[in-house]
Amino acid sequence: SPYLERPWEYLESEEYRAAYGDSPVWHGYRRRHKGSVPPQRARKACLRPGSPVGNPCPLCRDRNLLVHFRNVKLLDQFICPHSGVIFDPIHTGICMKQHRRLTQAIEQARDHGLLWLHVPFVPVPEEDFSNQHAAVGKTPPAPALREPGRAWYPWYEWQQPPADRVARMRRLYREFLTENYPDTPPS
Amino acid sequence: GKAAQPKPAFTDEAVQTLLYKMTGLDLHKVFRPVKKGLKPPHYKLMTEAQLEEATRKAIEEAKTKLIMPPVLNEREPIDDVLAEDKVLEGTETAKYVFTDLSYSIPHRERFIVVREPNGVLRKATWEERDRMIQIFFPKEGRRVIPPTLFKNENLGTVFQQDRHEDVLNMCIAQFEPDSPDYIRVHHRTYEDIEKRGKYDLLRSTRHFGGMVWYLVNRKKTDGLLIDMINRDLLEDAVSLITLYHMLHPDCQSAKEAKEGKLEGVDLIKVFVKTESQREGYIQLALQAYEEAMATSSGS
Repeated sequence: SPYLERPWEYLESEEYRAAYGDSPVWHGYRRRHKGSVPPQRARKACLRPGSPVGNPCPLCRDRNLLVHFRNVKLLDQFICPHSGVIFDPIHTGICMKQHRRLTQAIEQARDHGLLWLHVPFVPVPEEDFSNQHAAVGKTPPAPALREPGRAWYPWYEWQQPPADRVARMRRLYREFLTENYPDTPPS
Repeated sequence: GKAAQPKPAFTDEAVQTLLYKMTGLDLHKVFRPVKKGLKPPHYKLMTEAQLEEATRKAIEEAKTKLIMPPVLNEREPIDDVLAEDKVLEGTETAKYVFTDLSYSIPHRERFIVVREPNGVLRKATWEERDRMIQIFFPKEGRRVIPPTLFKNENLGTVFQQDRHEDVLNMCIAQFEPDSPDYIRVHHRTYEDIEKRGKYDLLRSTRHFGGMVWYLVNRKKTDGLLIDMINRDLLEDAVSLITLYHMLHPDCQSAKEAKEGKLEGVDLIKVFVKTESQREGYIQLALQAYEEAMATSSGS
């Protein structure tokens, strides 16, 4: 499609005017179904690997209509102008795959500020903004750390255990200890 | 010299009354229809007394909606190391964030600390704090990652659609009042409004006071003055100049006004002669206003 990089230009071109005029892209599209009541579920996908379905949906039948967050005019055609809600795919006739891509593109466009977004009224926060509390200000260092070189717990540095403990361990594991097993580990 | 008086703050009563007067109260703008789900219309039959009661209630509700958001200085970044435990170096590959989740403490007193892989235990930065608090205590209208529309490139597109009020409302919902992003977005919006002269977009909203405070502090009041005179809001123009004199008591027009105890149009004329950059435009606007007054009083 020649409009791959700038899909919004297609909506102002002669071909688009000739094909659709002023009405939205999905105007006049009808599903083909048996019986009087149309199916109440949208088709899952129009373009599968293999041949495309007969009577594709409004977005799949025109290869120049690309769902991109920057072509706001196309996205606007699928949003209700009165309530700001995205139309149901059964109403517009598009397949579920396109509807999912369309919803993502509309969310992206609203995020970038290209589409109208409902802004809820958030009342002004009433809290203390002085930032004096210790959680967000400075705290004095702990007593264990005030001198340089001291660690938080005394056992961070290696300490010689009491002699009776060492003797008890030696007695327990005397069959497994080699000769000359040292009391202090080599540093 | 004279004794240095403390500079008036945004929260002073005198300043707030002046700003509230300038904001105006247009009920049709405050309660304008918003796009939402369609419902059939609802009619009420009321007597005169009931109508007055309903208008009074509407004015009170509008006053709560017009409470001005606070104007604060940028917050100081937090960098406080609580402990350095070299013992833990190399044991983990990721940072651990510990958040105090007690329900009843205010968010600004909540302790949030980060243990880095190199063993350092430090307090979390402001951005980390905001993210964690939003994850555990979600607030309406606020997202964990702020929308891309607050970046400088995307603000231009929104301003072209004249949606300054929406941007400011979203900013209040998303950021804390003393965060650098909040201040940056607000300053950008005010600059854009002042450049285009679209002061009427914010009139009767809660953001008008903040905008006037910003402009008066930076002495960019000419466009606003012209707009007020063109819309025949002379009391607002007088209160704007009073506020200017309160904030800059050393300027020449303030001294002349104090000596001569000027009121009304004379005050504006003195201000225009001494302090403004766009004298010609303001003189023209004043002339047009006086002619309109003369014709209306004469006929």
